[in-house]
Amino acid sequence: MQGLLDFSAGPLFRLTFFIMVLGLARILILDIWGAVDAYRKAGDKTIDWGTATRKTIKWLIPIKSVFTHKPFYSIFSISFHVGLILVPIFLLAHVRLWETAIGFGWLSLPKTWADILTLVAIIAGAGIIIGRIASSNLRFLSRKQDYLWPLLLIIPFVTGYICSNMAVSPATYQLSKLIHILSGELIFVLIPFTKITHCVIMPLSQFIMMIAWKFPAHVDDDICTTLNKKGEPV
Amino acid sequence: MDRARVFKSILWTISGLGAAALATRFLIGLGSIANMNDAVPWGIWKGFNIFPGIALAGGGFVMTAIIYIMGREEYHKYAKVSVLLAFLGYITAATALVTELGLPWFVWHPIIYWQHHSPLFEVSWCVMLYLTVLFLEFVPVPLEETSRFTKVRKFLTKYKIVLVFLGIMISTLHQSSLGSMWLITPEKLHPLWYTQLLPILFLLSAIAIGPIMLILAILVISRIYRRKTDNQTLARLGVLSSFMVLTYGLVRLIDIGANGKFAMIFDGSWQSAIFIVEMSLMVIIPLILMGIRKLRNSSSSLWVASLSAVIGLGLDRANIAGVMLSVDGPRYTPTIFEVLVSLSIISAAILVFLFCIERFKIWDSKWEDPREDKKSRPDFDRSSEVWLGTPRLAGRTVYTLIFVISLAVGFAIIPGKRIYSGGIQKVASQKSLGGDTLFIDGNRDNYGVNFDHKAHVIRDSSCVLCHHMNQPNDKQSGCYTCHLDMYQRTDAFKHDWHANPTGANISCTECHAVDQERLASTAKACDQCHKDLIPPGATITVDKYMAPSYTDAMHFLCVDCHKQKAVELADKSNLALCATCHTSEHTDHFVDGVTDKYKHPYFNHVVLPENRPTVEGH
Repeated sequence: MQGLLDFSAGPLFRLTFFIMVLGLARILILDIWGAVDAYRKAGDKTIDWGTATRKTIKWLIPIKSVFTHKPFYSIFSISFHVGLILVPIFLLAHVRLWETAIGFGWLSLPKTWADILTLVAIIAGAGIIIGRIASSNLRFLSRKQDYLWPLLLIIPFVTGYICSNMAVSPATYQLSKLIHILSGELIFVLIPFTKITHCVIMPLSQFIMMIAWKFPAHVDDDICTTLNKKGEPV
Repeated sequence: MDRARVFKSILWTISGLGAAALATRFLIGLGSIANMNDAVPWGIWKGFNIFPGIALAGGGFVMTAIIYIMGREEYHKYAKVSVLLAFLGYITAATALVTELGLPWFVWHPIIYWQHHSPLFEVSWCVMLYLTVLFLEFVPVPLEETSRFTKVRKFLTKYKIVLVFLGIMISTLHQSSLGSMWLITPEKLHPLWYTQLLPILFLLSAIAIGPIMLILAILVISRIYRRKTDNQTLARLGVLSSFMVLTYGLVRLIDIGANGKFAMIFDGSWQSAIFIVEMSLMVIIPLILMGIRKLRNSSSSLWVASLSAVIGLGLDRANIAGVMLSVDGPRYTPTIFEVLVSLSIISAAILVFLFCIERFKIWDSKWEDPREDKKSRPDFDRSSEVWLGTPRLAGRTVYTLIFVISLAVGFAIIPGKRIYSGGIQKVASQKSLGGDTLFIDGNRDNYGVNFDHKAHVIRDSSCVLCHHMNQPNDKQSGCYTCHLDMYQRTDAFKHDWHANPTGANISCTECHAVDQERLASTAKACDQCHKDLIPPGATITVDKYMAPSYTDAMHFLCVDCHKQKAVELADKSNLALCATCHTSEHTDHFVDGVTDKYKHPYFNHVVLPENRPTVEGH
């Protein structure tokens, strides 16, 4: 067991972590490269930078949708994202691991906060799956990975919570730690090859749409106006 | 399956694996991936990349001489390839050099700090100049692609002959100087390789094998891109260079005979076997295949001849730069990561070569990708059965993926810690005198060496080795009381103080005899007055009045003894390595005990503290 733990926390971790980081960098670079290529080849080089920037920022800060449509799903989604981003990066135990590995650490969350955020992320993840199943519109749009991703993302949170708060015997502790590490590494490997790449390319998506497809930035509003459904989600 | 894509995929994989090792080397330090030690500071990168790289790049100056100065127009179509090949050969060597220099950011030092006794000084100047010349020779080719810089391109093309002359001049200078460097090793290098003629042999072999390397490169790229080769012209070039190969072989054999070493070739040792292999590969096989008229025009004999000559030359340089050097101390075997770095530098160079071949007009006609033809069927990815786009787009997707994954694998397999030398045992240390573990910090910059005093006392009972001299009326004087300067010899006696009325105020004749010239060599020794100066049994003879620098004293005392012990004791091979003591990693006890500045870095390169205290009195 200890050997397995060492291996998964050592070489396997390095492998998967670097696949994630380098893979995301690759996706980002290829995206920008492709966009530049498309822009260079485009006959009509007019691009509405202002609207695109505004839309991107609006996308990145999704508070507005909480008050307009699907408040529950939006709240679940936002809190899920907050937990997903904050806990793995700023958990004290993780920061200590980084400190021993690379020589420096950074600020960490207080334990209580980390526990609360973990629980929030678990509940929100479950809520997202239920929300997807419950809504017929979403069910229609969802692929298999849309159900599987929240499930997979919850696993390290559950096992991590067990490790830090509920472990009763060393066997339970080690087993949940192993599952924690391995599921985390599975996530690392899958990130650059699935929809989770949105974590790096989302800020670009508006621009790329506009450059590659020549969709004007306000096209969605125009469609809504034509369909007499102004203010509703597309 | 597409040959070019398979070949390039393999190269990208190797580059990725090596790039991980390379990144580790620059982030953590040489010791993290390399097995080189104090006895063998020149490893596989010298023998495999730098020396063969420069020798094989000799084709650049030889071909330009043949084409532009001897006016052999039939080889003109190979001019650009040969210059590109030479350029990449030198870039390969330069990259490997920067990788294996301990302090790579000092690589520019020979430009400013001249050491004109050293062949390396000449080599580094020439290599830098020749790299510039090669760059200027090659740069018109990529410039043809754009409409900008037309003036620069025309200027460079117009005065090409000047560059050609410069190239020949500089090349002949440093190809031979690389051989001169080994003149310093008559005791180390095996006699079959060591000769006074090394500079000439280096130059001759570079001239001989350079064009053959070009033949090989043309054969390789023709095969990858499925182009017909002009075997007739290549064979004629082969014949031309086989004259040089013959000259080289004769000079070498006659030199060996003239020095009475001929019998060593057949003495049955492994060195003699390697010598025979080397000579057959480099001289005999190419001579047979190129010399016989019936054989030389077939492409298979061109392949065999050029491959064998190139491998033979690589073997020759590797032998001189490493394999055949006798080493006292721990033997050196390269780690897998050193090999990976070596291979990755070469594969990256080949990738750049192929890139240039594909993008620029280096052939007589520009290379066209057959898949780019609109009438050809779309090329599906084998694994996913997805059309990846146009060839360039598909290449971008596939090669970056391969590179990223192999880079990650590379990072996963590197242990990330030091490979050799476990370092010192962690023991509690204290700063004061007489402790079990002493912290030796000669220049008072808070970085020093932990010295296990207790272990040395028990083992040797040779106190007098270190405590070989005391200050007057003192016992176990600190080393720094005489060895006053960190790096320079200092006056431990202080003549003026002894003579001065405000000092000891003793008359000259106390020490200097009346009827003698008053010199340090004729004066009375210190211990004739200060009876307790040298403890009984001290083995170190004290040089009169002058004390060696602190570093010299320490290195002399510690390193010499440790070197001896490293040979005597099987498990103590690390003792003579600098990094065994000079680690920047301190023990935890030590951190608490001395000062809070020891929030140590985790890596083994020495990092000076942010606010380096000024050292008073030194």
